[in-house]
Amino acid sequence: MASSSSQEYPLVRISKVAGRYLLFDIDDVMYLRRSYNICSVFVGTIPQNPQQNVFMGLPIELMPEEAQVLVEKKVAYVADDATFHPARLATFDEPSRRAYVQSLKNEGKRMQLAMIESQNRNKPKLQEGKPKKKRKDGPKKPEDSSTDHLVGGDTEADESSTLFDSAPTQRESTKKLPSEVEGYALTPTTSSFLLPFSPDSEVEHPVAVDVPVSYPLFAHLHDKGYYMMPGLRFGCDYNVYPGDPLRFHSHFAGVHFGWDEEITMMDLVGGGRLSTSVKKGYLFGGAVTDGSGAKETDDDDGASQDEKARRPKLRGGPVAPPVRTFCLEWAGM
Amino acid sequence: MAEIDHGQQLADTVLDNLKYQHDWTELQVLTHSPSNSQPLTRPMISGLPPQRLYVHPDDQIAMVKSSAAPNGKIFDIPEVEWVLPTHVSEKWTLKAFAAIFDSLPGQPSPHPKRPKRIVLATIHADSTIVYYLLHDGIIKPRQN
Repeated sequence: MASSSSQEYPLVRISKVAGRYLLFDIDDVMYLRRSYNICSVFVGTIPQNPQQNVFMGLPIELMPEEAQVLVEKKVAYVADDATFHPARLATFDEPSRRAYVQSLKNEGKRMQLAMIESQNRNKPKLQEGKPKKKRKDGPKKPEDSSTDHLVGGDTEADESSTLFDSAPTQRESTKKLPSEVEGYALTPTTSSFLLPFSPDSEVEHPVAVDVPVSYPLFAHLHDKGYYMMPGLRFGCDYNVYPGDPLRFHSHFAGVHFGWDEEITMMDLVGGGRLSTSVKKGYLFGGAVTDGSGAKETDDDDGASQDEKARRPKLRGGPVAPPVRTFCLEWAGM
Repeated sequence: MAEIDHGQQLADTVLDNLKYQHDWTELQVLTHSPSNSQPLTRPMISGLPPQRLYVHPDDQIAMVKSSAAPNGKIFDIPEVEWVLPTHVSEKWTLKAFAAIFDSLPGQPSPHPKRPKRIVLATIHADSTIVYYLLHDGIIKPRQN
């Protein structure tokens, strides 16, 4: 099921803004997290509470490695938003401009209807005697005055036509047609309205991703179905999780080294000791560049058989170059 | 051949430490790979620890599930370990570690498909020796 739906999902558009790779669309975020082991970091403030930086919201900022791995698996492409927006707006003629404004209006209407519906669903016990409660919710939104007016009109029509409607206030707005609401003034949070309708017709210029040198290790682990998070907490390149970080503790502190890069023993001992004390393994590895050690080790990749079977088959297949990895644990003696 | 002397000295020191401090037995220094009798890049030690040094987490889980082996008695039979002596001032590379593993035979264990492992012994100038298990591949950590 997961594989069939992933075939249909369109190419994800990664916005490159000021050298950062951002995703603004919650559907894309959920899709990538479910199907492609991409967790990433929420970096947006929450509009209701902009003064804190503990709970963040959209957009998410992808690590460059994540963006690159998605591009290589042909799941996503990277678009430079700073050049895209002016260029795209300059191509608009009058009809397409009007279509764009109309699409925004439609979306605003859709949102308002959804809001009204959810309000109705959340207040089924609201009796006629408490109309003020409803007003109290309203004043923040300027459109609400018109809404209430319409609501009132609707209710009257309701009462005249039905005899057994015992609680007309509950049902008042469900009968509203889309044309009857004005719609919220919408500030679009994604570029989707700006994009051409059929993406195949006019593909944006994808831009390259600047990946750090540790990319081969990341791609190798990603191919094996691991979830990676930034590794600052344990002084490594990546925290490596065997499943979604919401469900699993991380198994490894992953560090990349070049094939001929010198590794001081103190790094190994320090990393191994720290990782063991936080119940992890110290995983280090890198791309094999001379072909001598390219043999594929039969990795027990930290998962039982049914765990492996549950993992979704990823589109694009493995993209990593040959990589050799080692795991270090304290021997306890 | 200063390099060989260095490796030999490290091996002797680690062997003594294993023998007298950690009660290992059947210790021997190996200069050639037992699988293809090619010379090793440096002398290594094989020996038998007094208790089982490493239990794979899957085995551990299986042991807990089957009550046939209470208190983990089944894992009291030690396995022969390979020890790589190193000095803390040395610099190693992925290539060098890969060469070490490629020259070793597979683990004589009930799970021949499991990746190889060695014990990495690191000596400091103050005669401290630390021991780490080094696995060839991605091995999930033990539940300790």
